[in-house]
Amino acid sequence: MSKRIEVHHVTRVEGHGNIVVEVADGQLKECRFDVTETPRFFEGMLRGRPYTEASHITSRICGICATGHATASLRATERALGVEPSEQTRLLRKLTFHGEILDSHVLHVYMLVAPDFLGVGSVIPLASSHPEVVLRALRMKKLAGDICAVVAGRHTHPIAMAVGGFTHFPKRAELEDLRSRLEASRADVDATVELCASLPWPRFERDTEYVSLTKPDEYAFIDGEIVTSDGARLPLERYQEVTNEHLVRHSSAKHTRHLRDSYMVGALARFNNNYDQLHPWAKKAATTLGLKPKVTNTYLNSAAQVVEIVHCVEDAIQVIDELLERGVQPEPLAPVKRMPGEGVGVCEVPRGMLIHHYWIGEDGRLTGANCIIPTNQNLANLEGDFRARVPQIVDKPIDAMRLDLEMLVRAYDPCISCSVHVLEVKFD
Amino acid sequence: MTDARRTGQPQTLVLGFGNPLWSDDGAGIAAVTLLAQRQLPPRVRVEAAGTPGYGLAAWLQEATQPDPALRSGRSLQRLILIDAAHMEQTPGTWRRFTAEQVKLIANGEIVSLHQADLSSGLALAQALDILPEEVLFFGIEPERLQEGLELSSSVRASLPQMVDEILVELWNGREKNEQKTDINH
Repeated sequence: MSKRIEVHHVTRVEGHGNIVVEVADGQLKECRFDVTETPRFFEGMLRGRPYTEASHITSRICGICATGHATASLRATERALGVEPSEQTRLLRKLTFHGEILDSHVLHVYMLVAPDFLGVGSVIPLASSHPEVVLRALRMKKLAGDICAVVAGRHTHPIAMAVGGFTHFPKRAELEDLRSRLEASRADVDATVELCASLPWPRFERDTEYVSLTKPDEYAFIDGEIVTSDGARLPLERYQEVTNEHLVRHSSAKHTRHLRDSYMVGALARFNNNYDQLHPWAKKAATTLGLKPKVTNTYLNSAAQVVEIVHCVEDAIQVIDELLERGVQPEPLAPVKRMPGEGVGVCEVPRGMLIHHYWIGEDGRLTGANCIIPTNQNLANLEGDFRARVPQIVDKPIDAMRLDLEMLVRAYDPCISCSVHVLEVKFD
Repeated sequence: MTDARRTGQPQTLVLGFGNPLWSDDGAGIAAVTLLAQRQLPPRVRVEAAGTPGYGLAAWLQEATQPDPALRSGRSLQRLILIDAAHMEQTPGTWRRFTAEQVKLIANGEIVSLHQADLSSGLALAQALDILPEEVLFFGIEPERLQEGLELSSSVRASLPQMVDEILVELWNGREKNEQKTDINH
């Protein structure tokens, strides 16, 4: 008796992700997850461009993690060219980064994860059956987008962020307005925690290596060191010792591995590694959700995202308070100190650790770029999860199996970002 | 793109979609960039919306807040969406259409937020009852959908004409345009 599950999520013309699982006589015969290699192309696109353009080009890799890409890009350039951003720049970047984490996590939890649990096929029937839930998500998303608009000059694609600082500065009144809206959003955040606590999360355990940034005095999103739950700790420049990208016969994308066959990045990895630096209310939410490190249930990555929603709202308020106390001043961009240069910038974007590595020539133009996105780093771990999960659910009806495996994929919040975004139209 | 402080609550929202890193995929962005440089009627807001997927509903939620100046209803009357579109036309062809005139083929199962496309965003907005009365599309047939920072020559050549037409639409309203032919090269 054999069961074959193929889930094709065709993403238009370029790129696709497939789950292929085949079980025969209770034995797992085939198990793979294919995602096309995402931003490899931009190595070619950046080559020859002036360093000032890199963040603007790379922010357009992703409409959801635009600030994340831009920040990693800027940090790579700044470390290459000896640029030291000011404290004000550091705070402003942190604030807009929090906005993006909020935006992405809210969208993921409400639009992708919740429908699976609430018995609907997508968020669209959810909008009819639970409009208040969807409107809440949009309200939170709007606030998150407005943080980016106020600080970085645009809802998506942080146009005001530049090498060495900002080209636009928020006004006091705008920051105060954001602050009061963030405080008001606490009701929505609490409702999100409550919703999350009520969901029947699948039971699953698979220990793996959790990899993330770390910092001693804050929950790390920008800069720091690389740390793993198996005890490794490295400066950012040595990221390749962790990622070890290698080709896998069956997959079009490279896989990564460190001390085990795979590792995981993302909210769960950050939660496991950096729990101590979470805001107290985020820790409280974690307790409500039954989470404490080390969590080894992949499905709970989305629950860890909810904990981060709490953290980012509270930390954003604190950052605004700091900015208001200092008073935001227009500042010139911090200067370039050397050329040519090579630099690595690493950020924790919503889905996990993102690495940009640039080589910049004497004329200020990029001669090379390397980028490793979180979803690629998770591929081997996802396959490991499939191999562990399938035997546990093999006796379920095939539709239930399929849903369970889709939920497992969705738990990673994968970013298949290279899809083409073109309308498909048929004229009657 | 347009200064929200001057437009206030818009009556017309024009959104351009796409990713400018994929050549003609970014046609909608290029279109609104051109449009925003022209003289626009009052209460028209023009924005580059990128590839927001479900986030389209967030744009509309903001734009459909009740207008205190009106006795009832919302201020947003009209939504214009500009995007590259596979319409089985020769590359560079653009067309104006309403949702009733076409079948938008939505993406099926969604695993990544990037797969939530414009159709999904519209469906969500519809389910939440935040679509304005009038929803118009301007689609342009792409030639090139690969990595690249430039539009193809066919799209680049016909884009200004499409933008001119959108401008006419904005200044004259719907009456004048109901008789217009749709297909333009």
